[in-house]
Amino acid sequence: MNETLTWKDHLGDRIPEDLGREVDIFETEIELRRQGKIDEVVFAETRLRRGAYGQRYDSGQRFDGKQTQQLAFPKANTKGPNTEWHAPGMMRIKIPFGGLNTVQMETLADLAEEYSDDILHVTTRQDLQLHYIHIEDTVDLMRRLAAVGITTREACGNSVRNVTACPLAGVCNTESFDVTPYSRALARFLLGHPDAQDFGRKVKIAFSGCRDEACGLVNLHDIGALGVTRVIDGKTRRGFEFYVGGGLGAVPHQAKLFDEFVSEEELLPLSQAIGRVFARLGEKKNRARARLKFLVARIGIDEFKRLVLEERAILPHDARWTSYIQGLDSDDETPLRPGQALQGLQLPEGFSEWFGTNVYQQLQPGYVVVTVYLPLGDLTGQQMRSLAAVSRKYVKDTIRTTVEQNIVLRWVSEADLPTLYTDLVDIGLGGSAANTIVDVTSCPGTDTCKLGIASSRGLAGELRTRLAEKYHSLDAAVQGMRIKVSGCFNSCGQHHVADIGFYGISRKINGITVPHFQVVLGGKWKGNAESFGLAMAAVPSKNIPLVVDRLTERYVAERQGDEIFQDFISRVGKRDVKAMLDDLVQVPTYEEDPSFYRDWGDTREFTIDDMGKGECAGEVVPLALFELGAAEREVFEAQILLDENNFSGAYTMAFKAMVAAARALVRSQFLDVSDAPDTVIAEFRTRFVDTGLYFDTYAKDKFARYLFRMQEEALRNPTRDDAHRAIEECQLFIEGAFACYNRISDAAGADALATA
Amino acid sequence: MAINLQKINIKFYLAENAVPSPEEAFRIFSQWIPLTTDEILIDVADYRHVARGPKTVLVGHGANYTFDNSDGRYGLLYGCKIGTQGSNAARLRAAFAASLKACVRLEQAENTVSKPRFVGAEAVITINDRLHAANSEATLEQIRADLESVLDDLYAGAPTQIEREGDARQRFTVRVRVEGDFETADLLANLAASGAGAGA
Ligand code: SF4
Repeated sequence: MNETLTWKDHLGDRIPEDLGREVDIFETEIELRRQGKIDEVVFAETRLRRGAYGQRYDSGQRFDGKQTQQLAFPKANTKGPNTEWHAPGMMRIKIPFGGLNTVQMETLADLAEEYSDDILHVTTRQDLQLHYIHIEDTVDLMRRLAAVGITTREACGNSVRNVTACPLAGVCNTESFDVTPYSRALARFLLGHPDAQDFGRKVKIAFSGCRDEACGLVNLHDIGALGVTRVIDGKTRRGFEFYVGGGLGAVPHQAKLFDEFVSEEELLPLSQAIGRVFARLGEKKNRARARLKFLVARIGIDEFKRLVLEERAILPHDARWTSYIQGLDSDDETPLRPGQALQGLQLPEGFSEWFGTNVYQQLQPGYVVVTVYLPLGDLTGQQMRSLAAVSRKYVKDTIRTTVEQNIVLRWVSEADLPTLYTDLVDIGLGGSAANTIVDVTSCPGTDTCKLGIASSRGLAGELRTRLAEKYHSLDAAVQGMRIKVSGCFNSCGQHHVADIGFYGISRKINGITVPHFQVVLGGKWKGNAESFGLAMAAVPSKNIPLVVDRLTERYVAERQGDEIFQDFISRVGKRDVKAMLDDLVQVPTYEEDPSFYRDWGDTREFTIDDMGKGECAGEVVPLALFELGAAEREVFEAQILLDENNFSGAYTMAFKAMVAAARALVRSQFLDVSDAPDTVIAEFRTRFVDTGLYFDTYAKDKFARYLFRMQEEALRNPTRDDAHRAIEECQLFIEGAFACYNRISDAAGADALATA
Repeated sequence: MAINLQKINIKFYLAENAVPSPEEAFRIFSQWIPLTTDEILIDVADYRHVARGPKTVLVGHGANYTFDNSDGRYGLLYGCKIGTQGSNAARLRAAFAASLKACVRLEQAENTVSKPRFVGAEAVITINDRLHAANSEATLEQIRADLESVLDDLYAGAPTQIEREGDARQRFTVRVRVEGDFETADLLANLAASGAGAGA
């Protein structure tokens, strides 16, 4: 060890040549950026494609009870969305199908300690993330990962993101076959593939071994492959029910069935052909409509399929399409220890409870999958290292991350469970309640994400603590529910598919910004994310735990037979459910209860100013708020109509609500505007869109374009999907109107508001 | 070739009945961000849900300050993150000075419920850099003279006990123990009096 040693020298040829070259190039790009020879925008894409993400920081301002004060603070260098290019950021590390081995775990542990804040975070797409990484450190970090077979390449940016798969694949009781080798092969094939480099937006791919469970979440992916078998010429053949165009984000889309059976030989070439079509025809300029789901929606699934098959037919042959199939059996995992049933031993304290929630009986007798529960998806470097050591005692590198932000150990002999449990408790990872209502999933939210509006992790942590305290007294049906929280409408926390979902928004109350969450109900986690929920009510963050209590208590009290939560909600009806939450929507004044003006897990006054500001002008009277509230009620009516299968009524009502929200803003400048939709929309366009007043730093004028498009398309016979989309878009348009109102009222000043 | 000591971490333990709650830790650190002018502090991260580890982290550009209980005991962990100049002894002094300055600042913080107080007679030094400082006796021998000279100044000549901890997979870590009671403010003054570290 001496002062000239570098990781590059130290690791030498343990770094695969291609990955090493990639990192060397990135190192040069960092240097060129430092010298000002690479433009920030170009560098940003290059850094993102290597997994290095910008992070959000403290806003540098506080609300003191009367007004928001800017602090004397070196903001220019470090704050908000416009952080300097070299400010510490997040590193996303792709873990295809979540598969980890113990050497990789130890390396990840080292990296968390040496470059991050000692925390490893498992994401909702089986990645790992490290935060606060200096850009100079990213290259050594990448080299150390490369030396153990991990790449961060294409972890972010407009590329094929981590390919996910059921963490139970290969040991699951309901699967058709093990999808692991297929997900690995596709991930490898598409990594750096020339046909996957020119996308307008990211592409997310997921594999699932069965239709009914939720492990793979196929329906919410750009490309989803569901393992199925078919008897062809008397032989059982493996293939995939193949879906395209799914996605969450602001407006979720259920994936469309592309083909009922894509053979294993066709999996890779078909995906390549999709990449080509998407690169050629996908939107490039307008980010907001650039995901594959928009292309599929725009041209229709039949035309999309025709184009893809046409492309497939002319693809030059590639041996890799099928070469991996010969070696499929070599992928089979083997256990470390003989599978034996749990004996009537004396069991450690807490074991039974943990066994009930964290242990899954494998298809293979005598073996189980153990879920290591990670609160909010986090573990420390030392915990990861210790977990690697524990894993070595019981299993052979059969370890995976999960989309529920946990880690599973597969092929554990049942007889080993008591000692394994004790070992996990010793390293602080013996928590029970995995895969229950306590195991709340959350995106990073305002903690580190620049787009976050409210603190999803703060709320998730609070819910987790409260629910854990009373877990034993909860009804079994409630114990098994799922809560998912996103910091904004983008849905990284997958709130659309939770039993109870939340996404962060803000509301201006008496001139002060108050953190809120939209309550999202009706989503189905099972069935690979079978249905997406809709927003029901905007509730201040501080009241969200009460929302959970009310909903679950009423569910238990009125549940009929084995009725699941979603069925209960639809039977009771959204109108009734909403009425139940009405009082929780109210916000006390700052003087009455200042805690409403702070977010969970944060002692500072709430602000969203660190998201970046739009332009402000003019003045809005509170009448606008009143009318925006009315528009919100109309979109709720649209939901009721949708529930009643009145798609046309729901679609029309959603449009009406959008026009009402637009009119609310227009009337702040032109009180006597008529209520004719065309006039309102024209005035709204001139006064708010053309002037940039209705604008979001990230979404830009996307939500306004929802309105313009609906005006143009004016569907006569909308389908359920059309109506559902219209309601989602309407909700976002109204949120945009509230945000616009907030900005304008900020500019007008608190005094003007008070006297208005 | 001499060892290149970088990324020095130092932890001083909190007295048992003087540990800030996560809320209080978050509040104190948040207040430091805008009030600190001699270094760039950028964020507070809350990890209260992690059983043992960094509970509340004040993230800086050059160094982090963490309420940490990774080893089961609460303390303030100072962690330098960027390369620094000077001899190894100078870097150790600078790290001790920065760490103690933060401890004193905490002890003097107003409106705290916990009234944080530190145990000056014990410290843990970690070199957060496996490449240059493996956790081995050889590393300890390479830095021993520098470390002892710094500790001599810090504890005003009181005999210190230095013990290496952990295995080869862990970062180079030594625990320092001294007989007697030592206030962190006095330790900081000792360092300043020895003519180094005041500017850290
Ligand atoms: S949902 Fe919003 S806040 Fe959460 S990670 Fe995604 S973009 Fe960020």
